[in-house]
Amino acid sequence: MSARYDAIVVGAGHNGLTAAAYLARAGLSVLVVEQRDVIGGATVTEEFHPGFRVDAFAHRMGPFDRRVLEDLRLATHGLDIVRPDPARVALADGRPLPLFRDPSRTAEAIRAVSPNDAARWPGFCRTIADATRLVDAVRRSQPPELPNPGLRDLLRLAALGLGLRRLGRRAMVQALRVLPMSLADLLDDWFESDVLKGAIAGTGLMGLMQGPRGAGTAYALLHHLATGEAPGGVALVRGGTGRVAEALAGAARAAGVEIRTSAPVERIVVRSDAAVEVVLAGGEVIPARRILSSADPRRTFLQLVGPEALDPAFVRQVRHIRMRGACAKVHLALGELPRFAGLGGGDADLRGAIVVAPSLDYLERAFDDAKYGGVSERPFLEAVIPTLTDPSLAPPGRHVMSVLVQYAPYQLKAGGWDGARREALGDTVVSLLAQFAPNLPGAVLHRQVLSALDVEQRLGLTEGNIFQGELALDQLFFMRPVPGWARYRTPVRGLYLCGAGTHPGGGVTALPGYHAARAVLRDATPS
Amino acid sequence: MNRTAFDAIVIGGGHNGLVNAAYLARAGLKVLVLERRRLVGGAAVTEEVFPGFKYCVCSYVVSLLRPEIIRDLDLPACGLEILPLESTFTPLPSGDYLVRWADHDLTRRELYRHSPRDADAYDEFGHLMHQLAFAVKPVLGMMPPDLTSFAPSDLAGLLRLGRYVRGLGADRFHALVKLMTMSAAEYLEEWFETEALRATMSASGIIGTFLGPRSPGTAYVLLHHYMGEIDGVFRAWGFARGGTGAVSNAIATAAERRGVTIRTGAPVARVLTRGGRARGVVLESGEEIAAKVVVSALDPKRTFLELVDPASLPGELIEDIRRFRIRGSSGKVNLALSELPSFTCLPGIGPHLRGAMSISPSVEYLERAYDDAKYGAFSRRPYMDIVIPSLIDPGMAPPGKHVMSIFVQYAPYQLNGGWTDARREAFGDTVIDTLSQYAPNLRGAILHRQVLTPADMEREMGLTEGNIFHGELSLHQLFSLRPAAPWAQYRTPIAGYYQCGSGTHPGGGISGAPGRLGALRILKDLGR
Repeated sequence: MSARYDAIVVGAGHNGLTAAAYLARAGLSVLVVEQRDVIGGATVTEEFHPGFRVDAFAHRMGPFDRRVLEDLRLATHGLDIVRPDPARVALADGRPLPLFRDPSRTAEAIRAVSPNDAARWPGFCRTIADATRLVDAVRRSQPPELPNPGLRDLLRLAALGLGLRRLGRRAMVQALRVLPMSLADLLDDWFESDVLKGAIAGTGLMGLMQGPRGAGTAYALLHHLATGEAPGGVALVRGGTGRVAEALAGAARAAGVEIRTSAPVERIVVRSDAAVEVVLAGGEVIPARRILSSADPRRTFLQLVGPEALDPAFVRQVRHIRMRGACAKVHLALGELPRFAGLGGGDADLRGAIVVAPSLDYLERAFDDAKYGGVSERPFLEAVIPTLTDPSLAPPGRHVMSVLVQYAPYQLKAGGWDGARREALGDTVVSLLAQFAPNLPGAVLHRQVLSALDVEQRLGLTEGNIFQGELALDQLFFMRPVPGWARYRTPVRGLYLCGAGTHPGGGVTALPGYHAARAVLRDATPS
Repeated sequence: MNRTAFDAIVIGGGHNGLVNAAYLARAGLKVLVLERRRLVGGAAVTEEVFPGFKYCVCSYVVSLLRPEIIRDLDLPACGLEILPLESTFTPLPSGDYLVRWADHDLTRRELYRHSPRDADAYDEFGHLMHQLAFAVKPVLGMMPPDLTSFAPSDLAGLLRLGRYVRGLGADRFHALVKLMTMSAAEYLEEWFETEALRATMSASGIIGTFLGPRSPGTAYVLLHHYMGEIDGVFRAWGFARGGTGAVSNAIATAAERRGVTIRTGAPVARVLTRGGRARGVVLESGEEIAAKVVVSALDPKRTFLELVDPASLPGELIEDIRRFRIRGSSGKVNLALSELPSFTCLPGIGPHLRGAMSISPSVEYLERAYDDAKYGAFSRRPYMDIVIPSLIDPGMAPPGKHVMSIFVQYAPYQLNGGWTDARREAFGDTVIDTLSQYAPNLRGAILHRQVLTPADMEREMGLTEGNIFHGELSLHQLFSLRPAAPWAQYRTPIAGYYQCGSGTHPGGGISGAPGRLGALRILKDLGR
């Protein structure tokens, strides 16, 4: 057995790799252990049909932290972020509505649907920008200890308050007001066009077991726009999100991190209230001074650590973290590009996200199905055609379409996610898209459906929840993953959480990993 | 015509307007209350709609009447007598039922029948709720700080809030945050497994809202019930002898004893202003009455968009008030009965009829009722909160006969096609049909039926869109944001023109708190 590692990171998803890289750069000896035979976690690009590769899970970037991009020089390690324009195209009966990066171009496009909404679009973008600035400031720091913030926290909170106030009284109130709202209330306040409201709402609802009428869904929208992209904005990765993990792994290895795949952790061993070692399946024991888990909190505490080693009240809180997976993925290998009615000139319009979310009621009804444990017959879809950004993902002239499907809940009332259920969902998705692109069914060469159960089984994400815990108002900030334990440390000394189950939550942002590494380093430095 | 000069005019003789007037008079002001209808009370009225039978037309229980108001205005001496509601009875389609009693041991035994685990959890839950209710009470009586202001008094208010939050301690603070942000159903699912228990308790979280039990933001209403239990000598959760109209009448008496003049049948057309200052009101009859202070106890839409010319107000405020959500979601069915209902699951007359009866067999039932409303229909299988006032106060009906008050959700104000007479009756029929499934003798016992839709409540009681709380209690319309920042401190942009209705903090329910806080604001501004 080799000398003890300074840190072992469980899971080579993008957050785990980020944490590992930062720790290694600070001089720690770091080992990352990954259960799958490939790194990446939910940011992984895989061949799903001979010659066709697709982002198996996350198919676009979140608001990725700029510091991580720069500190780890991810561009030099192969990360190429693409911001398509139009960013998003909303399919509807009649003309599809494109949303551009430039608010004035978007306003022009909206004018065709509703001149009133076009006039209001810039004001909406401003209010959202003000609110996201607040959210961004909050997410870039670790959460304060409430209700007894330390001096540093207080200063930061005061700075936040002042920053808000500097927006002006009106803007400040408007921004604050948005935070607890429902998307339906927010969007109905501003707009009349169903397709516009549906398109914006979809972005916020991704991954949630909530409909647009749920309070707190507006916050989720802000979460996804935190780097200041205009509403509707999308950031893709050339070559697939797997490149994010590869770039992070490159930076990590350059800093001296060791990465082992096919090394599933069976247990995190706790002795005298301290985490001392991991045990891999097969029995190999690897000791470390500290352990960071990028697995979700339920899995970390209830499976890897085990409830016997923890306080019952803490265990109870962990059991109550709402995970409910709401999404599935449908991957299509296509013989030709889908031809969407109303999207004429070339494929420029198809490089971003293509959504089916024709109205708020449509989304709410889709949620209603899932609410009672059913699969939505008319789900919300967000599709990406990555071959338009990187043709090497498929054979020449062929294409790949990655479709995120919501609401296809993990928890089904009757039966489970068997082959028949999966195929039925695949059929639903293809026929729904076919309403807008009649050539699609004929173009499908191969189809793969991954349900929330598949996500759980392949990635170990409890209930297939891609955010490791819903982005609900009571599961955010100083309450995430559980109240009192929101600063990456856990009741077990030397054990840290570094995945999306911590602040600021899910999406491809690298922030949980970044904050966790800093927490570890802070603890490691004698004051 | 009374030529006396008034110091203050209160528009609207609902319970908050009356409280406001009473407090102003107590401080020495000469106050006039103007009420459009022929009786005071607003939505807290008892009316003999059918001869011999007194209906609690709209509201039917008293839940949060502030003890300081009861004390300051000496309401018991003015006729207020609150009788306890001793139980909540939930009949189930299976033929079983669930009852919760004011007596904790009885409840425990009943719950044990359904789930031993829940019986234990109920005690622990009640204990936590009491703690949190204690913690929250000060906020109900607090004037919300202006979040945008650097004025010393406002900053002091923020500091006070901060100190208060600190004083809660981590556990209670976190529990409170969960309660404020979670859905009632999800919150209760962490505690209990009995579906009917979860549902009946969740139901209190949806009353008066356009939300379902699974909607975030419905859990905190669970506190209301426990808040009532801890309010000292006076039981604040119960049924007023004489119906909720008796509460209004008691407050009116208290006001009159302090010199307030109350004029009914005196609808106000608008507030008179000059140079940005209020100077009185003009009635629909054309009569002008002068006063330097004018208080609106009406909802924010009427306060800002009807009583004054919106063009005289800042555009931002008008925009906010137009966006202020006030969607009515409930209806009321009041019945005169020749006999008591007999529930199949617990036949005959018994103590379970003397409390509240809840048609809420499961969370899914409530959620589906909500789903109907979301898309513009009234619930095909509605939620109901029922009391039989005559069993608690025999004076409400002739001997041997009864009145039944049925609060129903959901009945959306925006009904597909609108609320016609036919649709009103269909709604009433749905309610009777549903209830008859549990108590088959009901239909035959009905002597008279009154059905109120949100459109009726708007027309009769001046409740915009029939919303019983003068505005939805969503998180973004509470506290410093109610009805709109920075006008959440009972003032308006017009000097001398104030707000004191449920559209201000702490809004909703028969609490009197907005009325009192509004009065305190006015008195402070007057230097008294």
